[in-house]
Amino acid sequence: MASAQHVLLSPAELAYLHSSLSLTPPIRPDGRTPTQFRPLVAETGILPGTNGSARICFADGTEAIVGVKAEVEKTRSRHDDETVFVEGAGDDGEEEETDDITRTGESDWIELTVEIPGLRDDDSATAFLAAMLSEALLADGGLVKRLWINRRFHWKLYLDIILISPPLSYPLPLLSLTTHLALLSTRLPRLKSEGDEDPFFDDDWAAAPYLYPRQQTATPTAKSAPRSPATRPPITLLVMAVANNILFDPSKEELAVADAALAVSVTSSTRSDENDDGDGDDSMDVKEKKGRNLRLLSIRTVDPPSRLTPPGVANSSNAAYGVAGNGNGKATEGRTAVAEGEAVVEGVWRAPRGGAKRAVMAALVQKALERGGVVDEVFDALEGVELG
Amino acid sequence: MPITIIAPRPSRPINDPEDVVSDMSYDSEDESTDGGADLEGDIPMKSSGTSRSRGPRLFSKTDSDIVTPGELITSDPQFMRGHGTYLSHSQLQQGGDDNGPQAAIISSVAGTLTRTNKLLSVRPLRARYAPEVGDLVVGRITEVQARRWRVDVGAAQLASLPLSAINLPGGILRKRTETDELQIRTFFAEGDLLVAEVQQLFGDGGAVLHTRSLRYGKLRNGVFVAVAGMGGSEGGGVVRSRRQVWTMETAHGGGPVDVILGVNGYVWISKHVETATSGEAEAKTGITNMEEGVSATMYSSQNDRIGVETMREIARLRGVVTALVENGLRVDEDMVTRGYHEAVEMALVSADGVDDIYLGGEKGQQLAATLTGR
Repeated sequence: MASAQHVLLSPAELAYLHSSLSLTPPIRPDGRTPTQFRPLVAETGILPGTNGSARICFADGTEAIVGVKAEVEKTRSRHDDETVFVEGAGDDGEEEETDDITRTGESDWIELTVEIPGLRDDDSATAFLAAMLSEALLADGGLVKRLWINRRFHWKLYLDIILISPPLSYPLPLLSLTTHLALLSTRLPRLKSEGDEDPFFDDDWAAAPYLYPRQQTATPTAKSAPRSPATRPPITLLVMAVANNILFDPSKEELAVADAALAVSVTSSTRSDENDDGDGDDSMDVKEKKGRNLRLLSIRTVDPPSRLTPPGVANSSNAAYGVAGNGNGKATEGRTAVAEGEAVVEGVWRAPRGGAKRAVMAALVQKALERGGVVDEVFDALEGVELG
Repeated sequence: MPITIIAPRPSRPINDPEDVVSDMSYDSEDESTDGGADLEGDIPMKSSGTSRSRGPRLFSKTDSDIVTPGELITSDPQFMRGHGTYLSHSQLQQGGDDNGPQAAIISSVAGTLTRTNKLLSVRPLRARYAPEVGDLVVGRITEVQARRWRVDVGAAQLASLPLSAINLPGGILRKRTETDELQIRTFFAEGDLLVAEVQQLFGDGGAVLHTRSLRYGKLRNGVFVAVAGMGGSEGGGVVRSRRQVWTMETAHGGGPVDVILGVNGYVWISKHVETATSGEAEAKTGITNMEEGVSATMYSSQNDRIGVETMREIARLRGVVTALVENGLRVDEDMVTRGYHEAVEMALVSADGVDDIYLGGEKGQQLAATLTGR
């Protein structure tokens, strides 16, 4: 997908940034290590009228708010009921871990709107962001499965994602992390009715179970409460590569010199014992001893703005260079050199051409899915945010 | 630790009494550019304000409170309106006060109320850079027009740089020709960074820049960082000072590094390049020769070879500047130099050694605390 707005940087800046990021280890302009994220401020439960909400503020000043509203909806009945309610034996290997009735949900049970200030609702950038975010949420069907109330009713979730600052950098990771937090803090009223009768809920908000139960408090509350393993909502992270370096959470300037950029959606299930007996789905499972199971949900290549940057002019072909010393002779000589072939001159910016190398892409994904690695710690940190 | 998530803090009270005192103690000496007016609000008004003023607004609020645009400050006729306020007659009629035609002072910006004797002004919380003649600014070309460039300097309007106000290659005495107009992009193109001086101001606040000096021109070999400049006065930022440009020797073999603090808050940190001026051209004597020698590299967009150590120290300096701003400290030569040495010391004791150049978050706060001695 197309990347964020055009960044205006001079060729000299771009050349400097690219060469400093290509070093081993890379020197990032703000001094972070390759895997380090910018510090962020996060809080949940900021909107009293929602089922769950969160606010995240990045250090660069971008800020997003996500609110989750739930609504009871009657499930459309189908002629062939059996396809909707698959009793007991799930044909999907991953679903066998739930001893409950395994049922799949429908993707239109989640409605997601993204609002970016200064962009229209139907702007392609907004539409792409919404598509990428909902793709991550719906990819494994884990979220919609939790939305069953009983056989006849389900919850419909409305996710309103609002960026409340101008999009200073590519806002996908920010929106994704905020959505993750909002879903973590989402609570649905406790069901009082039984069976398939019309749902009737407990008024006591304090008794309402979380949509994603916390690990410690994963008590089987109501019948409707999902008792699946403590999986977590997916997060989408931006990972970029410059030369052989892989950088997480790139800033706007860094993205402007990226050779390749990927939006990687990852989900996790903390239960590491009984997983993936049969790999029915094509998602990748990474198994090791410690940490969480990270599952890759989707990858999208992001077209980095670096491709649109203007190239620098080498001194040899610069008409305004060296005129003082030896007249115009040097300038004309330089022009022929350009015509012959654009040799790579050190210190002159050249926009990257061609696609990303396969090895680089593989390394990017590998790094993102590393057990106990960066993404793991991001999940830990997000879980550490106090739910208010 | 790849990620740190901080719980939101309650917003810091603006004009924290302690802050004001400590900031002002060294601010007030060199603030001669304010034309004698006290922009900082450091006159202790807490005691006098409450006892003498009769305006409803002044009574109810302390001086550190924020006023918003359109908010009534006072209707007391004894006060004069200052910056950030305007007089309104309609406001009173609304209030149902019929003491005759009396003007009320209304705030026109969001900021803190400042009182200098009978003068009421509102200091904006954030504001764009307001250019003044003689300011050294760092700007970025956003538009190329027929005979001039439009330059983003962080002001409300784009500044303009006429083709006649730059040093043309081939010596200062050369006349501007049509050829120069045609190849205007070979001097500056969109996105290029330059350091210039404000030459002239238009009535509407727009600035005209010039680069007719050896010190000015295109920037290369370094990194750019935008912080708050003059105007966004609450908290930190670049302030006008005696020296906006200097070369400093860096630690760990970084070599000399140039720092340019644009008054507009745009900062450029680059490797120091020995120009022809100091080398052979000086030996050849003659002012014009010197000009010619410099102008050879003046419009180059090719970086020189920069060592790893230099890049690391440039990144460290950039971190110092951002840390100063994030913690509400002013950015000038003294603070940057002290902050840099402090950062070098901090890196020595840290686990990663000299390679540890990260100065965000807690480390930045630590740095700021050491600098202010608190």
